[in-house]
Amino acid sequence: MKRISIFFGVLTTAVVLIGCSNVRRDPGTVYMPDMSYSRAYETYASTEALTQAGVNYTATPVSGTIARGEMAAYPYKNDSAGYAMSASVKNPLDVAAVDLKEAERLYLVNCGICHGKKLDGNGPLWNDGNGPYPSKPIALVGDAKYEAMAEGTMFHSLTYGKNAMGSYASQLSTKQRWMVITYVKSKQGAKAAAAAADSTAKSM
Amino acid sequence: MNLQHVLLRRFSILLILLFSCSHSMFAQDIAAGKALFMGKCASCHNVLKDGTGPALKGLEERHKWADHKELQAWINNPAAYMAKDPYTQGLKAKYGSMMTGFAEITLADVDNIVAYINDAAIVKVAPAAASGQAPEGDQNAVLFGIISLVLGVIALILMQVNSNLKRMSDEADGLKTPAPIPFYRRKSNIALMSIAFFVFGGFMVAKGAIGMGRQKDYQPEQPIYYSHKVHAGINQINCLYCHGNAWESKHAAIPSTNVCMNCHKAISTYEKGPKLFDEEGKEINGTAEIAKLYKYAGFDPSNPNQWDPSKAKPIEWVKIHNLPDHVYFNHAQHVRAGNVQCQSCHGEITAMDEVKQVADLSMGWCINCHRETKVNFNYDSTGGNKFYSLYEKFHNDIRNGKMDSVKVKDIGGLECQKCHY
Ligand code: HEC
Ligand code: HEC
Ligand code: HEC
Ligand code: HEC
Ligand code: HEC
Ligand code: HEC
Ligand code: HEC
Repeated sequence: MKRISIFFGVLTTAVVLIGCSNVRRDPGTVYMPDMSYSRAYETYASTEALTQAGVNYTATPVSGTIARGEMAAYPYKNDSAGYAMSASVKNPLDVAAVDLKEAERLYLVNCGICHGKKLDGNGPLWNDGNGPYPSKPIALVGDAKYEAMAEGTMFHSLTYGKNAMGSYASQLSTKQRWMVITYVKSKQGAKAAAAAADSTAKSM
Repeated sequence: MNLQHVLLRRFSILLILLFSCSHSMFAQDIAAGKALFMGKCASCHNVLKDGTGPALKGLEERHKWADHKELQAWINNPAAYMAKDPYTQGLKAKYGSMMTGFAEITLADVDNIVAYINDAAIVKVAPAAASGQAPEGDQNAVLFGIISLVLGVIALILMQVNSNLKRMSDEADGLKTPAPIPFYRRKSNIALMSIAFFVFGGFMVAKGAIGMGRQKDYQPEQPIYYSHKVHAGINQINCLYCHGNAWESKHAAIPSTNVCMNCHKAISTYEKGPKLFDEEGKEINGTAEIAKLYKYAGFDPSNPNQWDPSKAKPIEWVKIHNLPDHVYFNHAQHVRAGNVQCQSCHGEITAMDEVKQVADLSMGWCINCHRETKVNFNYDSTGGNKFYSLYEKFHNDIRNGKMDSVKVKDIGGLECQKCHY
């Protein structure tokens, strides 16, 4: 009888021990909570408590606000008329002075995943149609339509998004968007020139 | 008699030839159609799924599209076609944007494109997607548990048997043994147990006290089962696509809902990746998790063009890493200037479904790395630290052999006020 009870005792403790998962789902306790969990409002904290207390807090700047050092605002709205007029907007950067290495980094981080390292519209998400992304990202290099696309139109599409592609205004500043476009344009020219050189080489 | 036979044979060969000929022509159609479709249509149309434009599967059963002339007229100039056609006006109302015209598309091109669409619409049964398995570690742990349990029970029984046998043999030898004292009342045992208890207890208390306020291994459940393994691992999305602030500021930042929607406007189902499990081993339905994202974003996948990104609600992710207020930590200093990889502090994020805190974020952890890590002086536009190019002294010391390399501690990495406000 005693032995059986020992046996069951050991069994239950073992089951309880094994049943305890080692996944840590709670952060534990701290010595000084007001040092660890800031009493001041931190970056992502909800401001709902303020609203409830009747404190007037606006999380976003007044519309039309321009940050210090920000470039002039883009003049057109997100509609078909704006899209049509965007072609007249010129790249405000001094193209020769753009740091193409940094621009390339921005392109690879933000665009390469769809438009491809080689700008051929075949990034890992599309992968010749076998990837998980269902719309084909356009080929920025090698497609006459996009080779000819005005920089301003590209800027319009990057700022507001175009069809399946979303807006990049929250990930790239105005200057960075122009830098990426400068990079795309530099590749387009280079590729076309290389292709031309290639075909002349072949025809000879 | 033979003639007939030969004729028949010739005829059948001819037939076969004809058939294979037409077959190869057919294949060419599909290839040409595919090239056209990929070049001109695929950015808006998917054969199987709605995108910017409707899914084109079963195209010929809709409207008048069985007549390829109608189709050509539509593709050549959608605006003109739509002006007198209520069906496509209805489509416009549903999909919002206007299809671009392709005036150069000929009737033969249309035949090819439709051939490709019909071919691609036959869903090719994928070789059973590498079926994921429940994490194996857990099963092993259970197995080891059971084995050690059984061994323990056997050991206990053997000990009992042993002492009983000893008593019986003693009795047989006629030796008088005192009535056995149960092991829990033996003095030496009690003394041993209490020492062990104090050592163990003291260790646990000290460990708990040091660990209090530290959250190594913390792995909370998030409002959406969002897997870094699927995004940053399998699909190779760059960390900075979502955590771009790490390059520029103190905070790495968590992406806002609109960043998720950059891709998920189009990706509405989870089907390419492996099966997902949470840490408890429960299977997760990726598509249902994406539907949760749509709820936050206020996005209705059956009516995509009504979406208003400004109405999106923030997702309340649970913060994992949390330094106390009296410590200043800056991502840009480490990631951009210091060229430290995310993984050296956050572990193999690309292999984690749910993020887990890998480092304990103790002061010793920071200091250790600063003692050992060499400063990255090789600055250029993408990294390195121009500021320290002024440290001529170090350069001279290295030249004179007084130092062999410059560690973070030499540039002030151990000074209290650098990390404490
Ligand atoms: C999630 C995938 C994805 C990412 C990331 C992405 N794009 Fe796109 N992009 C697309 C798709 C799909 C289209 C085709 C849109 C259409 O016309 O339907 C497109 C179209 C474009 C166009 C043509 C727009 C027009 O007016 O027709 C440009 C230019 C472009 N992308 C540039 C970029 C740049 C630069 C980046 C990086 C900042 C980028 N894209 C990132 C998917 C993506
Ligand atoms: C810029 C995006 C875009 C491109 C590129 C595009 N389409 Fe469309 N397509 C649409 C949209 C949007 C609709 C729905 C009608 C509308 O709103 O104009 C549509 C409708 C259609 C329809 C009618 C579908 C139905 O359900 O009856 C057909 C057929 C079609 N497109 C074929 C094509 C073909 C073939 C190509 C390539 C040569 C192509 N489209 C290129 C956007 C596009
Ligand atoms: C597609 C967007 C996306 C990408 C790409 C991405 N992350 Fe995240 N990351 C998130 C989101 C959303 C969260 C918050 C939810 C969570 O903790 O799982 C997060 C959380 C984290 C956290 C925990 C933050 C905390 O609360 O303390 C770390 C660390 C992290 N990511 C590191 C990385 C690293 C390293 C990479 C690259 C290998 C990466 N992330 C790529 C979206 C992304
Ligand atoms: C650059 C493109 C991209 C971005 C940005 C992105 N995703 Fe994904 N997401 C994907 C891809 C690709 C898949 C895999 C689809 C498949 O395999 O079929 C996926 C799958 C998912 C899944 C199902 C699998 C899983 O992890 O549970 C969820 C949920 C999800 N994403 C949520 C999010 C959230 C939340 C965000 C924003 C923090 C986000 N995604 C941002 C591309 C993206
Ligand atoms: C030197 C170590 C270190 C490196 C390298 C590092 N992190 Fe962190 N990360 C931390 C610490 C420490 C915290 C906690 C910060 C806090 O609570 O203030 C943190 C917090 C985070 C968070 C939570 C949100 C926030 O900003 O507090 C995210 C997301 C994150 N890191 C992502 C990344 C990504 C992505 C990279 C690579 C580009 C990276 N980290 C590189 C140490 C590091
Ligand atoms: C993986 C290694 C590593 C870890 C872990 C680490 N650091 Fe650093 N830290 C560096 C490197 C490398 C630099 C030098 C960057 C440079 O070139 O300016 C640095 C520099 C710093 C500086 C600036 C020093 C100066 O003189 O300007 C501060 C402040 C700092 N770290 C704080 C922290 C804190 C706080 C932690 C812990 C939460 C931490 N670091 C953890 C590698 C690390
Ligand atoms: C490399 C960055 C760094 C430097 C340099 C540094 N500290 Fe800390 N310190 C930390 C971090 C991170 C914590 C938080 C540890 C935790 O939460 O467990 C901390 C915590 C503390 C605490 C609270 C006790 C604890 O462990 O939580 C004290 C006291 C302290 N530091 C004193 C100092 C003094 C004195 C110096 C100068 C000799 C110094 N620190 C230099 C990063 C630093």
